[in-house]
Amino acid sequence: MPRRRIYNPLTELLAAALLVVLVLVVNRWEFSLAVLVLVVVPAVLLSGRPRQIGLAIVLVAGPLLVSSLLLHGLFYPEGREVLLDLGVARVTAEGLAFAAGMGLRMGVFTGVLLSTAMTLDIPDLLATMTHRGWNRKLVFIVGSAVGLIPHVSLRARRISRAQQARGLVVGRGPVSRFRALLTVTTPLVIGLLVDASERTRMLEARGFSSSAPRTSYLPDTDSRGQRLARRAMVAAVGLVSVIRLAAAMAA
Amino acid sequence: MSSPLTRPSATPERPRRLLILLGGALIAATYLFLVVVQPAEIAGGMGSVASLVSLVGFLGGGALLVAGILPMLSTSSLVVMPLGIALNIAIGQVAGSLGMQIYLDAIGTVLVAVLAGPAAGAATGALSNAIWGLFNPFALPFAAGAALIGLLAGLAAKYGAFRHVYLAPVAGLVVGAIGGLVAAPVAVFMFGAAGTFGTNAIIAVFRSMGDKLLVAATKQGLLSDSLDKIVVFVLVALIVYALPRRAVLQFPFARTHRVLGQRTDVAGMGTKDGTTTGTTTAGAARGNRTGA
Repeated sequence: MPRRRIYNPLTELLAAALLVVLVLVVNRWEFSLAVLVLVVVPAVLLSGRPRQIGLAIVLVAGPLLVSSLLLHGLFYPEGREVLLDLGVARVTAEGLAFAAGMGLRMGVFTGVLLSTAMTLDIPDLLATMTHRGWNRKLVFIVGSAVGLIPHVSLRARRISRAQQARGLVVGRGPVSRFRALLTVTTPLVIGLLVDASERTRMLEARGFSSSAPRTSYLPDTDSRGQRLARRAMVAAVGLVSVIRLAAAMAA
Repeated sequence: MSSPLTRPSATPERPRRLLILLGGALIAATYLFLVVVQPAEIAGGMGSVASLVSLVGFLGGGALLVAGILPMLSTSSLVVMPLGIALNIAIGQVAGSLGMQIYLDAIGTVLVAVLAGPAAGAATGALSNAIWGLFNPFALPFAAGAALIGLLAGLAAKYGAFRHVYLAPVAGLVVGAIGGLVAAPVAVFMFGAAGTFGTNAIIAVFRSMGDKLLVAATKQGLLSDSLDKIVVFVLVALIVYALPRRAVLQFPFARTHRVLGQRTDVAGMGTKDGTTTGTTTAGAARGNRTGA
């Protein structure tokens, strides 16, 4: 069951982006951990779809965390405190600490952005952008691309199955893989371009290139209070960033 | 082409060259700061200043570029951009999840750049990573690098790199090397150079030889990005050669600059209003058959 929406999607997206900036600015593992435990975990649990979001976070961040741990845990020439010497590779305390710090940071980024994106109401976001007077071309591209992604994946799967039914076998060699990629992407792109050509005609006929103001069919869910809150959040994070960075540069 | 049912706008949008210049300057300044001015090696700490500069500089520069470019794009370019973005994300996600040494996340960007030009390519690259960043935060800071790939691919197409299939990998090698150089500091300062198992294995080899993290990531970027862009450029060249002629000719850039050379040449081609008459060449006819 999707959660009841309290804030406008633009406010939620901005809050997530600013939280990422704050994690970078503060740059302490304690703060990253606090954001993870106090913000990300409750946000995922209260999202209404914790399993899907949790799984997505594990799938996106998991391989990166493991490969980061292997990279910095085993190959960290700057490390002085050697815990285990394996010849070419050395496990060092500094390398493990660096991998843990970076891993925590990546975990927070993934958790914050994915839990926001996966509960985002895209039509509501696009309507807000239109109501706020954002560039209509940008609104079209964002809305169209987000709508196309699952369509492209589905079409690619169908073409792939059709080609396999016609005898496509993907071997282990790079040439075989390249040929398989070509046999799937060529009809995929041709089909998508033909669709795009039709869409161009329809959009032109409906005055897409006109710069007259657009009307959104969806109501404006944004409020004056949230607009003020967004400005305040940007100002506050900007101020904190400038102060901390000035202190870091002076030190 | 249907006629618009609405009145043409009294004040047509103009490209905001100042925004494009500012965006380019911000990206260049960020890169210089990270590589030249930033003396502290990332491994000495997690580099708060460098991380923030890298995120804000590259994302801000990308946003300025997009804001400057969008007003100058035609409807046919705008309509193909979401297609390029969706292709980048769909194919890039699969390549990433398979742990490959290359990324394959620029097929859509290069395709749009070849058909619709460097400006559309740059905007596609930047927006692609910005949208992908919602679902995969690791793509977000690479928006400026992706814009550069789109820009360079478009310029390569303009100057004939896609007129013959053997020129495409050469252009891909050059563009990939530049892209790798730009992407390396972002990967290092934002994520400690974490990537797929394949790319991290290459970094590990250089680290085991004693290279600093930035140096190792740059070498890996030069290797992986060059190889990646060679594959992507050849793939895109073969795809566009197989496209029906009318699909290519709907793009003013591809028509005007004869991006595919004789493959799409027709008598009377290249007129401003996009009308095409006459007979197809052998290459175009072959493209039609392949694409049918």
